[in-house]
Amino acid sequence: MRLTRRRFGALALAGSATFLLSACGQSGSSPAGKTGGGTGGGGSVTFVTSLAEDERAAIGELLKGFESSAGVQVKMVQMESQDVVNQLKAKKTANKMDIDLVAQDNLRLGPLVRDQLVDDLSGEVSRVPDSTIDALVPITEFNGKRFFFPYRPNVQIVYYNETKMSQYGLKPPESWDDLLKVSQTIKEKEGIGKVAIQAAAGDPLSVSVFEFIKQAGGDPLVLNDAGSVKAFEFLAQLEPLMTPEYRTAKFDTMNTMLSTDTAYLGSNWPFGINVIVDKNGRKDIKAYHGWAGPTKESHVLGGEVLGIPAGAPNKAGALQLAEYLMAKDTQSQLLTKLGWPPMRTDAFGNVPEWQAPYFQAVQAALKQVDARPNVPYWEDVSRAMNDAFRDVVQSKQPAKETLDRYAAAIQKAKAAAGA
Amino acid sequence: MSTQAVTQQPRTGAATRVRTDAHASRLALRIGFVALAVLFAVMTVLPLLVLIKVSFSAPQDIMTARPPFLLYNATLDHWRAILNADTVLGPARHSLVVATGTALFAVLIAAPAAYVISRMSRGWRYGLILALLFTQMFPDVGIAMPVAITFLRLGLNDTDLGLILAHLVPTLPFVAWILVGTFETIPREIEEASFVDGNGKIGTLARVVVPLAAPGIAVAALFAWLKSWNDLVYAIYLFLGERTLPLMTFYYSNRGSVFDTATFAVLLTIPVMLVTLALQRYVEAGTLSGAIKG
Repeated sequence: MRLTRRRFGALALAGSATFLLSACGQSGSSPAGKTGGGTGGGGSVTFVTSLAEDERAAIGELLKGFESSAGVQVKMVQMESQDVVNQLKAKKTANKMDIDLVAQDNLRLGPLVRDQLVDDLSGEVSRVPDSTIDALVPITEFNGKRFFFPYRPNVQIVYYNETKMSQYGLKPPESWDDLLKVSQTIKEKEGIGKVAIQAAAGDPLSVSVFEFIKQAGGDPLVLNDAGSVKAFEFLAQLEPLMTPEYRTAKFDTMNTMLSTDTAYLGSNWPFGINVIVDKNGRKDIKAYHGWAGPTKESHVLGGEVLGIPAGAPNKAGALQLAEYLMAKDTQSQLLTKLGWPPMRTDAFGNVPEWQAPYFQAVQAALKQVDARPNVPYWEDVSRAMNDAFRDVVQSKQPAKETLDRYAAAIQKAKAAAGA
Repeated sequence: MSTQAVTQQPRTGAATRVRTDAHASRLALRIGFVALAVLFAVMTVLPLLVLIKVSFSAPQDIMTARPPFLLYNATLDHWRAILNADTVLGPARHSLVVATGTALFAVLIAAPAAYVISRMSRGWRYGLILALLFTQMFPDVGIAMPVAITFLRLGLNDTDLGLILAHLVPTLPFVAWILVGTFETIPREIEEASFVDGNGKIGTLARVVVPLAAPGIAVAALFAWLKSWNDLVYAIYLFLGERTLPLMTFYYSNRGSVFDTATFAVLLTIPVMLVTLALQRYVEAGTLSGAIKG
């Protein structure tokens, strides 16, 4: 078919008409996640959160209760935690902040405070319930000031392939020695390692290394103390016994690895339950709280906290919503509907039956948590842990000398940060 | 036996061997070419086939150490799960409108500029073409933040128009570069003949130059459309309450299963295939090389 002038003109006209009819002006008339009108005229609150589709539906239902009682409309917006910092930065610089409340991953709080993107909430401490889990409080504070409210604690659990473990007469490892034995046995039987830790460069690896260091009684902010050296030496022993895919293991790929039998044992956040067991149909994948090191059992305290961006247009509404989300009834409903562990000790509920064993694993792991320290040079510490892993665990360089080098780099970063 | 027959015989044998050798070598080349073509076709199509297969497969066929190559237990569950108004229709509408708008605007703005550049003297032409190419060195990620800040100040966030304008930033120079090459291939003598026939400048452009350049314009529009359709960076910065299809795919790949991701990826590919099929006949060899001809 020749592209004659007439046809070309018709195509251009059709395209322009489509564009003119659809494009011009604000397209915010039907924003995603609008939960409906409230009964009063209390304005609206834009609430940024990062949820899976089924979680959004449940949270949307909960927020209707808030809208009815507070007369404040809630516009729920989906945004990944790694995009929150850039969005807030752009909006703050442009002086066009239109976000009122953010539920942010508590592993990504430093930049929000450092770049003054969130308000100081020290004057609003009274809104935080007294029954809040103690371990959650330090992560909301930076330099003695409270910048966030606790919202949702989270912790990684260890998933394992029950069929394969039973086949080889193995039990989920409870100690480092057990972990080595299980890894060794599986590798001998299968000819290839099937145990994984999350070792994708960046946050996933930092979390894994942090946990091992704490389990050995070390301090990640020092990195060359006895516990840290022990942790790295152990990881160097474990590394050849793991699946080669461990290098790419993080929150999403670990689900696939466990579902496709690339790994028979690996840790991940509880959202993996819905993906691995429910969506991928792997009901033989179970979970437990994990293993202990020579000193103790330790898991990084993850989850989300609530922050109010600097310049939020409806700070009063945001504070009301935050208080609602921390309320006992709300936390109980989150537990019942989504299996989310509550942030307060007095919230109770029944999780869906099929989730119960996994929830027990989460509850057990939450008893052994360590929060990452809120220091301004945390990115340097994370980078040092990543590089040390590469050098000691993968390249088999001597642990003590290598860690001495990275410890010095951390001290330098600490001095530069004025900490 | 005549002398002629004796002298012809050696020539016939040598000539036959030469013809046979030439024929064999052409056959070998043809077989090699076909084999390579098949290999590249398979390498190109196979990932798409795997995506389509995963989007229609039951979990037990994929979540296993050795998944089968063929589709055994087909299911529409994954498609049913994502095909609803909030998840697909809204983002698809935004993506379609923005991509089409970007392509239209890019051509409307870049074509006149490209025509003027193509008619400049060689020195000026090369300088401007290099300037256009220079802008392609800046990655979108590097300039997205300042663009986002400016657009936020202008109230262009969460609008299709804002996203179109953002996409034009990297697209305009590229489209202009393609169209310079297109217009260069149209001899000036044709325009002069049109003047002689009584057409003015505008008439010549509308009745002679643009129709001749139409295939190149279609190619430029296709590239602009594809670039805009696949964008993720500007959508993340400029769309807060709204979504585009690539953004939905990104979120599902972070939070959903491989089935959701595969289904979205296939959905994302369908319009690309349709648009490419509609316009690919206009992609001629040399369309993109014209701008760098001596």
